[in-house]
Amino acid sequence: MTAPRPMLEIRNLHARLADGREILRGINLTVNAGEVHAIMGPNGSGKSTLAAVLTGREGYEISAGTVTYLDRSLLAMPADERAREGLFLAFQYPVEIPGVNNMYFLRAAINAQRRHRGEPELDAGQFLRAVRAKLKLLDIGEDLLQRAVNVGFSGGEKKRNEIFQMAMLEPRLAILDETDSGLDIDALRVVARGVNEQRAPDRAIVMITHYQRLLGYVEPDHVHVLQDGQIVESGDKDLAVELERRGYGAVGDAA
Amino acid sequence: MALSVMPRELRRTTPMSAVVDFPVKPEARPYLDAYGRRPSGEPEWLGAHRRRGLTRFAEHGFPNRRSEAWRYIDLRALEEKPLLPVGPTGDADDTALRQRLVEEALSEAAYRLVLVDGRYAPGLSRVEGLPSGVWLGGMATTIAERPDLVRAAFEAPRFDAERPFTALNAAFFGDGFVLDIAPGIALDRPIEIVHLASGGTEGSLHTRNLVSAGAGSRGSILETFAGDGRYWRNDVIELQLAAGAEFGRVALVEESADAFHIGELLAVLGPAARLASLVLLLGGRTMRHEATIRSDGERTHCALRGAFVLSERQEANIVTVVDHAAPAGETREVFKGVAAGRAHGAFQGRIIVRPDAQKVDAHQLSQNLVLSPRAAIDTKPELEIYADDVKCSHGAAVGDLDEAALFYLRTRGIAHQEARRMLIEAFVQEVIESVGPAPLREHLLARLACRLSMLEEEV
Repeated sequence: MTAPRPMLEIRNLHARLADGREILRGINLTVNAGEVHAIMGPNGSGKSTLAAVLTGREGYEISAGTVTYLDRSLLAMPADERAREGLFLAFQYPVEIPGVNNMYFLRAAINAQRRHRGEPELDAGQFLRAVRAKLKLLDIGEDLLQRAVNVGFSGGEKKRNEIFQMAMLEPRLAILDETDSGLDIDALRVVARGVNEQRAPDRAIVMITHYQRLLGYVEPDHVHVLQDGQIVESGDKDLAVELERRGYGAVGDAA
Repeated sequence: MALSVMPRELRRTTPMSAVVDFPVKPEARPYLDAYGRRPSGEPEWLGAHRRRGLTRFAEHGFPNRRSEAWRYIDLRALEEKPLLPVGPTGDADDTALRQRLVEEALSEAAYRLVLVDGRYAPGLSRVEGLPSGVWLGGMATTIAERPDLVRAAFEAPRFDAERPFTALNAAFFGDGFVLDIAPGIALDRPIEIVHLASGGTEGSLHTRNLVSAGAGSRGSILETFAGDGRYWRNDVIELQLAAGAEFGRVALVEESADAFHIGELLAVLGPAARLASLVLLLGGRTMRHEATIRSDGERTHCALRGAFVLSERQEANIVTVVDHAAPAGETREVFKGVAAGRAHGAFQGRIIVRPDAQKVDAHQLSQNLVLSPRAAIDTKPELEIYADDVKCSHGAAVGDLDEAALFYLRTRGIAHQEARRMLIEAFVQEVIESVGPAPLREHLLARLACRLSMLEEEV
């Protein structure tokens, strides 16, 4: 049996800010289709920078390393092309966009991706049917869709809206950046259910989180500890539990 | 001795015209000569009004950029090469105009009045079947058939004649439209007025329009300005709203790329009258919209909205003056500016609250997007408040698109250009959202989207 081709392969990735500060200092990570990975680490370890660099946010300089996504160089693609190729980021802080209707936005996004894949665009009726099926899953009222993107949404609504978008866009690789932060226990359950529903053999999920909390609901196959811009320890789900107990401070010593 | 005081002897040396005995600015001379060639035969009360306008224009000439109201707009091209008033053309190509109407007009307008090259075109209009108590007609026709509806506006003007182009308009207007709504009458659907320039003749098109909304009446108009070729449109509309009247006016300016558009809105609001004005400056080389609103009655409501979308070397200037002379009036202003390329836009908004106008509640907002390093937008709010118990505020901002919002859209697969267009559209749409009825709103949104699709190609 041949090993599965990795969906995402990060090799020796170094990234720094415009002011020269190096945030990522040699990341190595392989993610295969069907896997769920958790990347944990203390504040300032580079978790969000990793998500930003992978999704193509401007303001970072890649000083070394490669990222291969579905056999292509991810870093060579602009942010919108990465998305059309099936990469999705659930934002830690979803952006409010006044004046842009949530439905209109989502349909534009889906159709941009469908065009890219050579599929016909969804008309209003088809789109609405698809929306209704997924709304239930995330316990979102239809009124939320008639509002401007994230404007006036509560913290929980914003996070649910992110996972709802993920459910609609059906990405190949989803990166969830601190999706559990700011959620109460009920909202966390809803979001976790939404994520679990989307686990699939041809899809990979990378969860970036500070706490073990979400991992109690979405069980990862692999857990990595990020510290000072490097992955210093990897293991299975038990590592997350252990980290919760002993804290990040002891990681270096244990490794 | 102050040099600005011009001695009488010196004034005498200003060149005299052969036909008039007052000083004439050099740039006004070609227009003065053209006035002498006008056909006669109008009523004397109109002639007197025209002569007052001509005198005023001849004395003052083109607006001076040193004057506050005109400092943000460059009129040199207009000043250097006169665009003299276009006479009746009569033989404009009907087929081309009809095609143009299909492109520009509202598909479902119940009533439509079309002006071609500044003159009422009955063959392209549809004004039959209006409710009794409503008069809609060309200005020239109205002067001839119903002088009672317009005479007072010319004999006893409700606005001072300081405005140079309004004065020129008074001297030269050939036509326009008149809408008179009797007290208590409600017009449910907007009346459409289409101002087309056929492109046949280079020159200036002076239109004078009058709307008189009787007590408790209700109505609205959509005015579309479009055309081909190089021309100067100088349009003046006067709105008289009696007690409790509600009136809405939308001006959609989509002039040719070589056109100058000068639009003047003068409005007087009686007690509890409500005015909603929206102006969209989407096309033209140089566009200017000036609105002067006098709130003479108590408890008036005035909603002024507008936007300009500019690229290449386009220029636009929106100037508003709302003068609260009576208590408890409300004003809401929202203006949006978008400038790309090497365009230049400006918004100047004055709100005056007179000493007796207590309890006035006025808010003004000017938001602007500058999309390229060589584009610029100026914004200048001015509140002049002489009463002590009022609520007045203003906000002004000039900036670029929100990078975080742009990135968010792109992470969902929306291409950079489309994401930009979505954000610009959302930004401008706010001024259109409150327009009713729905077909009119959809029409305006579609025109905006059309303009923005061209904008992005140019960026």
